[in-house]
Amino acid sequence: VKPALHLLGGLVLAGLVWEGAVLAFGIRPHLLPRLSDVLGAIAATPGAYWSGFLRTLSETLVGFAAGALVGIFNGVVFFRAPLLRDMLLPIFVVSQTIPVIAFGALVVMWFGNTLMAKAIIAFYLTFFPVTVNTLLGLNAVDPRQVGLLRSFGASGRQILFRLQLPMALPQIFVALRLGASLSLVGAIVGEWFGDTRGIGVLLLQAMYNESVVALWAAILCAAVLGTGFYGVVAFAERRIVFWGAEQ
Amino acid sequence: VSDARGLARGLFGALLLLGAWEGLARGLALPAYTLPAVSEILLAAWQHRAVLQAAAWVTGQEALAGYALGSAIGITLAALLVLLPRLRAVVLPCAMAINSVPVVAWSPLVLLWFGIGMASKIAMVALAVGFTVFLSALAGFDRVDRRSVDLMRSFGAGAFGVFWRLRLPAALPLIAAGMRVATVRSLIVAIVTEMLGAYGGLGWVIYQAVTLIDFVQVWSAILVASLLSLGFFGAIGALERRFIFWR
Repeated sequence: VKPALHLLGGLVLAGLVWEGAVLAFGIRPHLLPRLSDVLGAIAATPGAYWSGFLRTLSETLVGFAAGALVGIFNGVVFFRAPLLRDMLLPIFVVSQTIPVIAFGALVVMWFGNTLMAKAIIAFYLTFFPVTVNTLLGLNAVDPRQVGLLRSFGASGRQILFRLQLPMALPQIFVALRLGASLSLVGAIVGEWFGDTRGIGVLLLQAMYNESVVALWAAILCAAVLGTGFYGVVAFAERRIVFWGAEQ
Repeated sequence: VSDARGLARGLFGALLLLGAWEGLARGLALPAYTLPAVSEILLAAWQHRAVLQAAAWVTGQEALAGYALGSAIGITLAALLVLLPRLRAVVLPCAMAINSVPVVAWSPLVLLWFGIGMASKIAMVALAVGFTVFLSALAGFDRVDRRSVDLMRSFGAGAFGVFWRLRLPAALPLIAAGMRVATVRSLIVAIVTEMLGAYGGLGWVIYQAVTLIDFVQVWSAILVASLLSLGFFGAIGALERRFIFWR
């Protein structure tokens, strides 16, 4: 309960500083409107913000979950089949250095403006880093430990699930945290290609209306979603990888 | 020897993928809507080379200018926080609050502030790059051993001496790693912001091609963006190996 109280106190303090700074320094609303105005905008049409929030959340979650599962599976396959790894991993690594989000345009053209299209964008933004980090983590397992388990008669599957995957978890979670941020970015950008609901749509509409207050309201929603999702992943990491996380 | 074999396998894998792509698109006579053949994309990129070159030039300038600006700001800010620890309590929470918003959610606001010319893209790239570099620089400056600092102090080094002779060399590898990651991010952010509104650039070309449902053009713009990104990444990586030899 105590950390939650601290967090709440911090948020209230930040809100007061925001409101106070705008009033005290006379910041023009064009740059930064008062927090009370922004919250008022959300309170005026809570339905629109709530449905946009939920829509973007579901796109992100579906894509992230699929990306995490397929990424881990792929990492295991690459680990087991070195020939496949040598052939495909360089392509994966190179694909990390290209602006993959540009493919978002293609995905939206293929799947239309559906939840599926955005989830797929979120999926492949998560999937690449998770694959690479799973493989890194599996490769870093001490071969002597594998040898020990094998000498006790453990099967390949047992070694994988009891030793190698748990040992790789810290690395996997590094990628999952990255994927949590990236999948949200993918979902928001995907919505820019002409969806009707979602935080990305709210951002776009506010921009076209040149309404800075509505823009800040959408940014606030994005911040809450991003921080909340990242927080959940980080919390899961501390719970699951209790023996020490990678930075 | 194993490096050469890995390289050969990687090249083989890439060729196999391109071949399968070409064969699939040609053999099944897939419409450009589903998947244009590699040769078609290359041909289109060559035919539209004037447009794509101009767009790449705009995007490249934005990314480079924002990259330089963001790196300078990120490193300077991190150095200031290390030299003046009192600033940290104020600046760090503000920085974290700004960073908690998915970076693309700032794009519409920045477009409203800076207009749809190049300035808004440079500002967005500087924001994204600045944070990446700032966080890695701060982690690098903090990484030094407490005892090394104490030792230098005992020999009469001031705060600036400790920073210049101990913290900065210790932090450079991490700063360089952050700057390497930031190269990719700079192009992604420039392209994504251009999609929202611009007078030119690869993101603008992609967005226009999407609205015209010109799939081959989207692919060729992605190709050019990827080449640009790879080149930038490679150049920064080469600079890093050249100058940070002690890592």
